[in-house]
This record gives sequence, C-alpha cells and structure tokens, in this order.
Amino acid sequence: MSDTIVPAEHEIDEATGFERRGPLGRLYHGETSIDFYGKRWIGLGISALLLLVSIGAIVGRGLNLSLDFKGGVVWEVPSPTLTEDQARQVLDDSGLKGADAKVQIRTSSRGGRVVQVQVTAQPDAIRVKVQDAFAKKAGITSEDVATTSVSSTWGRSITQKAIRALIVFLVLVAMFIAWRLEWRMALAAILAMLHDVLLSVGVYAVFGFEVTPATVVAFLTILGFSLYDTIVVFDKVQENQKRYAAHRMPYADILNVSMNQVLMRSLNTSLAAVLPVLSLLIIGSGIMGAVTLREFALALLVGLLTGSYSSIFVASPLVAMAKEREPKYKPLVGRHATGVELERLVLGGAPAGRRDAGRTRVADDSIEPLAPSGPVSPSDVLTHEPRPRKKKRRA
Amino acid sequence: MRQRLLLSLIGIMLLAYGGLIATLVTNTKPSLGLDLQGGISVVQQPKPGTNYSSSSLDLAVEKIRERVDSLGVAEPEILRQGDTIVVNLPGVKNQQQAVELVQVTGQVYLRPVVSGCQVLNTTPTTSTIAGATTTTIAGATTTTAAAVTTTSQGASVGSPSTTVKPGPSRRPSPSNGTTTTTAAPTTTTPGATTTSTGAGATTTTVSGAATSSTAPPLDANGVPIQQSDPKTSQILPVHGSNPPQYCPVGPAQGTGEVFSDNATATIIPGKGWGVVVDLRSGAKGEDVWNTLATQCFNAETTCPTKQIAIELDGSLQSVATVETPTFNGSVQISGSFSQSDAKNLARVINSGSLPVQLELQSVSNVSPSLGKDSLRAAWISGLIGVGLVLLFMILYYRILGFIVVVGITVSGALLWSIICWLSRTSGLALSLAGIAGIIVSVGVTVDSYVVFFERLKDEVRSGKTMRNSAQRGFTAAWRTIVIADLVSLIGALVLWYLTVGAVRGFAFFLGLSTACDLVVAYFFTRPAVLLLARTQWMERQKVMGIEAVPHGGAA
Repeated sequence: MSDTIVPAEHEIDEATGFERRGPLGRLYHGETSIDFYGKRWIGLGISALLLLVSIGAIVGRGLNLSLDFKGGVVWEVPSPTLTEDQARQVLDDSGLKGADAKVQIRTSSRGGRVVQVQVTAQPDAIRVKVQDAFAKKAGITSEDVATTSVSSTWGRSITQKAIRALIVFLVLVAMFIAWRLEWRMALAAILAMLHDVLLSVGVYAVFGFEVTPATVVAFLTILGFSLYDTIVVFDKVQENQKRYAAHRMPYADILNVSMNQVLMRSLNTSLAAVLPVLSLLIIGSGIMGAVTLREFALALLVGLLTGSYSSIFVASPLVAMAKEREPKYKPLVGRHATGVELERLVLGGAPAGRRDAGRTRVADDSIEPLAPSGPVSPSDVLTHEPRPRKKKRRA
Repeated sequence: MRQRLLLSLIGIMLLAYGGLIATLVTNTKPSLGLDLQGGISVVQQPKPGTNYSSSSLDLAVEKIRERVDSLGVAEPEILRQGDTIVVNLPGVKNQQQAVELVQVTGQVYLRPVVSGCQVLNTTPTTSTIAGATTTTIAGATTTTAAAVTTTSQGASVGSPSTTVKPGPSRRPSPSNGTTTTTAAPTTTTPGATTTSTGAGATTTTVSGAATSSTAPPLDANGVPIQQSDPKTSQILPVHGSNPPQYCPVGPAQGTGEVFSDNATATIIPGKGWGVVVDLRSGAKGEDVWNTLATQCFNAETTCPTKQIAIELDGSLQSVATVETPTFNGSVQISGSFSQSDAKNLARVINSGSLPVQLELQSVSNVSPSLGKDSLRAAWISGLIGVGLVLLFMILYYRILGFIVVVGITVSGALLWSIICWLSRTSGLALSLAGIAGIIVSVGVTVDSYVVFFERLKDEVRSGKTMRNSAQRGFTAAWRTIVIADLVSLIGALVLWYLTVGAVRGFAFFLGLSTACDLVVAYFFTRPAVLLLARTQWMERQKVMGIEAVPHGGAA
C-alpha cells in the first residue's frame, strides 16, 4: 500500500500548512491524497485481466459440481483391497455400465482407504442392490457402504431455486440502493459484486475444487460482504456529493476525496474481516490440521479480499464514470485536483482553498463562467469560515 | 439524557451477559446440524404431474414427524419447503431404515378386519389368544423362521386359506414380532416363551441376511413399525388408541379414492360426533365400497368381524362395524369419537381421496464435514482470529478499542444465547454454513465500530469538542450502518424464503448476526462512547489515537 501513497510527498508543505508525516503516519491520520480516479484504469485493468482468467477457467475447465447439483448415486466402500476394476465389474454385474462410472480411490477423513463410485441417477432399488453387491465384494456389511443418491430433478430444482433467489435478491437490493443512494450507485455496486463472485468462482474453476452446497454458502457470504463494503464507501461518496453540491467540483474530486477519507475505514474493516478467516486457514487448517476447513476458508478469504478491493478499485471508478455523464458534471470532466490540492480537499474539506490553485487551470478555459468572476461567492464563505474562527478563539 | 444512556448501556449488558450466564448454568448447547454431526438426509417431493390435495401433503409431513419421533432420533429436522419435504436425521447411520421410515404414501386403504383386535400390555385371558400363542411357539421351536410367519398368521387369522406369502421378500414380516409380543405375557411354559423370542430374533436375521441386515424400527410399544403392505394380511396398530390396540386386517379391498373429498366432522343425531362423507359414483367409488361393505355385513370369510378398517400408512385410523349391506351415495361413520377424533378422521379421508405420491429425490449419507477435532480447531482458530482483531483495534483506537472489546463480548454473548435458546425451543441446528455466517459477522460487527470511530476522528480533527464529535459522529455513522445492514438483512430474508438446505441455514445466521449488530451498535456502542466522551479525561485526545488538530496552534 505504501508506494501508492508516495507520489504527493515532495510537494510543498507550506501550501497546506500541515506538519509532514511519513506515508504510514498520514494513512493513520487520514491525510492521504491518493489520486484514485486518475489511476482508475490500473484497477479496472487488473480486474478485467482477472475476470478474463476466471471466465476462461469457468468456460474452459468448467466447475467441479458435486452430486447435489448434478444428480446421481455415489457408493463409498471402505475397503483396503477393492480395486477399480473390481468396482466396475460389480456395476456390470448389477446391470449398470461399469465403464461409464466415475471411480475414485481416496483416503477417508478417518484414515482408511475408500473406493468411491459415482454413476448417474438410478432408482432406489438399484441403489440398494448395488450397495449389497459392493458389501459382499468387500466383505463388509451393507450398512458400512455409505450411499448418497440425488435425483437429477432435485439437483436441478435446488439450482433453480438458488438462481431465482439470487435474482430476486439483486432486484430488491438494486431498488433499495437506488432509493437510499442513487441508481448509478446501485448499478456499480451490483457490477462490483458480480465481479467478486465471478473471481471467487473462478478460483474454484482454476484449482478444480468441488462445488458443494457449502461452497455456494461461501459465495453468498462473499456477495453479501461485497455489497456491504461497497455501500459503506458509497455512503461517503454521496455525503460528499451533497456537501460539494454548491461548488462546481469535478466528480473525480468528490470521488478522490471520499476514497481518501474512507480509506482507513476500508483497510481496518478488511483487516478485521480477514483476520478470523486467515486464522482459520493458517492456524485451524495449517497448524491444527483440520484440512476440511481449507477450501471453505480459502473461498472466503479470496471473496473478502476481492470484496474490499472492488469497492475501491472497481465500484467507485464505475460510479465516477457513470456520474460524469450527467449534465452537471459533464463540463468539468478532465481536470481534477491531485497532489497537494487533493490533500487540502481531503483535510480541509471545503473546496475554497482550491480556488487559487484552480484559477490558473481555469483561466484558459472558456466554458467556465462562474468561478473566476466574483471575488468570493457566499457559499464559499459559509462552508469555509466557521472552522478557522472557532479554532482561533480556542487558541 | 445521561440517565437514558446509562440505562440502555446497563440494560443491554445485563441482557447479554444474563443470557450467557443462563445458557452456561443450564448447560444449553446448540445442537449440531447434519453437516457437522453426520447422519442421513432424505428429500421427497410429490411425483411431478400428479394431482394431490395440499392437506394430503400436510398429513404426510405429520405422519413422518410422528414416525421419526417414535423412533427417538435426537434432534430430527423435518422441513416442508414448498412441496419439498426434507427430513434430516442426525446421528442415524442405517440408511435403509431411514428411508423406510420416512416413506409415507398418503394412500388410505380400506381393509377388512379379519379377527378381533387385541390390546397390548394387558394380560390376555381369552382362549383364542392363548390358542394362537401356543401354535406360534410350537411352530417356532420346530420349523424355520419362514414357517413361523405362516403358522402364526394362519392361527391368528383363523382361516388357513389366507394368502400370506412366506417371508415377504424385502422386509422381515413384522407380524412375527407382534405375535411374539402378545404371546409373552401368557407364559405357558417359561422355556417356550424364551424360544419364541428367540424365534423372532432369528426371523429378523434370516430375512435380513437375504436382503439387507436391517431391523425394522420399533414404535413406542416395542412393536416394529410396519410399512403398509396392502396386498397381504397384517396386524396394524390403531391410531391414538390407549392402551395400544392392534388389529389383524386382510388385504386392502379399496383405497380412500372411493370417497370424494368432502368429509366433514359433524354431530350425528343420537350418536355424537362422527364423519359424513360422499362416495364417488360409479365403478371406482360406490361399487368398490359396496362390494366390501356387503362382504362385511354378511360376515363372509374375508371379513368375519363385520368391521372395516381405514388405514393410513400402517396405522388404522378407524375401525368401524358395517351396519347396512349397501350404501347409497354417502357414508356416515360414528362411534365413540371426540370432536378432535372426528375432525382428524375427516381430514384423513379427505387427504386419502386425492393422495399425494411422494417421490424420493435424494438420500444422502452425510459424513460430518467437520469432525469433532476439526470443529474444535475451527473454534480455537476462530477465537484466535477474533483476538487478533481486538488487539488490532486496541492498538489502533487505544481507549476506544476497549469499547470494541466489550462490545464484541456483548454481541457474542447475545448471539450465543439466542442460538442456544432457539436450538432448544425450535430445533435450530448449528451448521457449517452457520459458522461461516458467524465468522463473517465478526468483520461486519467490527466495521460498525470502525465506521463510527473514523467519523469521530474526522469530527475531532475538524476542531469540535469530544462531546460534540461523539454525538455528531454517531448520527452520521448510524445512517451508514443502517443502510449497509439493511442490505444484508434483505439478502438474508430473500435467501431464507426462497432457498433450501444449507443456504437457508446461512441466511438465518447472517440475518441474526446483522440484527444483533444493529441492536448492539445502538444500545451499547452509542451510550458507551457518548458517556465516555463526556468525561474530562477523554478531552486529552491522545487517548483515542487522534491528535488534536495539528495546525490549530500554528495558524
């Protein structure tokens, strides 16, 4: 993080009148002045690249869906000796095509060797018959052969239900954000959320993890967190939007100011959300050896990180780009404050200090009728004056 | 103002810690969901394209619950979500048994009662029963298990011509067990009784080895629960009878579909509560009913007792004596019904007139996705993670960090008490998904503090007093917290209503922890910070990790 903060550093301290701090100190004290808007293409570019990789993996490799989504029957035969060929033979003898079955030999969580045989959906009678046949072959009781059977319609119906729920959820949330904030923000928030979910699903496709109902839960968690985080950021943006409504301020400035003001909160929150998951991954799964936690924690970790990342580097630029199309902000596109100017905005809040610095830039621009004309507009006085007066009295 | 703040602060802390202490004292722990404990999950749905009444589906769910309860499974979960019935049986290992248990048909059968009903647990003195018993024991000691079935059936039915298939192929014929139990109290010879019990046991193993080694689940009286097998003679329990009564019934001669679905419970003049229902006209309704009724009225060999039993899924809902040979359009059933008995019977008849046919959608043997050790590892590492978060908060926000520490314990205590309480009262089970929800909620909860404190710092930095900053900071932060939390709540509600299984569990915990977050932010964090901000001590702003505005003096 620290190298992004460096650029503004060498500029005049006297201009702001603030005591200079190191990059971390400024971060800590909320005095950063990073030009998020100017660097938006970096973030969007990285996201686009990652999205391409994810989509490529999802389309190319596909997702490793568990039985719950596809339908089918699985037998798990705990046996130290049963071979793959024998397992297929058992299926052939029971009237199923052994060659089509998916046979895996793996170690169970309790340490024994387990032969796992999976075929497409079968009626219950056949499931029982094959279960008995496996038990006989392996020399164990039928009860020891665990079977799972899911009809293909069931798998389809839960997938459909989940998708329907997701759509309803998206529509409601979009309406809610549009009502409380703005529809452009709703759009950006949902795009950012889709970005996060797609990246997380991409991780599953790239590494070939099995997607189970528990994974779907992890994805939903990500989705919820992503939205939550984005909304907190947007709330700040909207607040600044209102605050600067009277000033002819480019939207990029509003965005940059908001981002810098909310940066510390975003970092803190991300850290607070990631720490437990990281602990689960490193201590729980790594040191204490609970391997089953790993995939779950990994999906959550990726989701939380992308969630925090996207609210700053994806959702916010998207909002800025959408807002800049509005008539109010359109003429102002192309000149936003950076460096010290931005820092003053972040700290002082009021754009008044910016007036002098802005004049030189504005001078050669003919579309700008208001700003240079009057000496000081009343609105500037109102927003700027009260604070210094108070301070002086105190000192 | 100050008093109200104190009141809310003390109130919420009392509530949270009181709840926690109560759960600890009563040693209440949340029950673990299927995915944490392992067990069997069976999902059923009505056959697509078939017609069924919705009351029939209700009845099926009730029936499943009744059976599962009688089995004594700890913490079973029977959920009806739309048309889907999900039965989760944690800790159950025997899959076949579970499947048989939950497979109810909703089909109502009309079966003739072939001999007198017997009451269990009272010493039977009548000669007929004694006779039956003797035969059974004699048969058991000398012949094979399969033969026992025939002999005992033959004896109790009293007509050797009844077609009982020796050893019904799939399941051990439970009628053996019944006969054995009734036989026990007679004690003709102690040795013989032992043998007969032994014979019963042998039967189970013999037939079990032939198919799968499953003993049928027993009901509350230690009698095997039977799958309804309408093609053979069976001895079935009478629903709700006390003391428990069992009646031998012959093969079904009709289904509940002879009735139309207008059965109503009314007071029949002179006879008390009863049920009146119309018959469907034609070959499938009236004719079927009348054939059976005539047989029974004339006490023919197929129906010597003159009684017709109405059976639903292996239990007899009503055993009624036929009083006329033919019925014309409607049937009236009366007897010693109470109002609720009559209503229940009417409901059964109605649902049986258009029965639901459930189709097995999925049977899964859920192995615990987190074993006991893993679960412990999850808790420990999760707590360490939360500890790190709190440490960070203290380092970053100094004195305010301690408010986060206390606040997290308040949220934690509140959440844990609610989970335990719900687990106890409404069978909520903690699942892996739930744990995920809780872990993520840590982030969201801490965020509420971060949003608030960052606001507070902004306000202080712009030169306001601590006291003012706290008030203004909270107003601004509260808005943000509410918007963000409402989105989470919307998500939780939608997911809860529209999905099934694990996702639903997750949605519940997400909603719960979000609601807790709102409550704690308003009733704990707000008063705590506002009160703290009033103290003289807090005016030295270093204590919360903010310096006074640096250029204040210089300018």
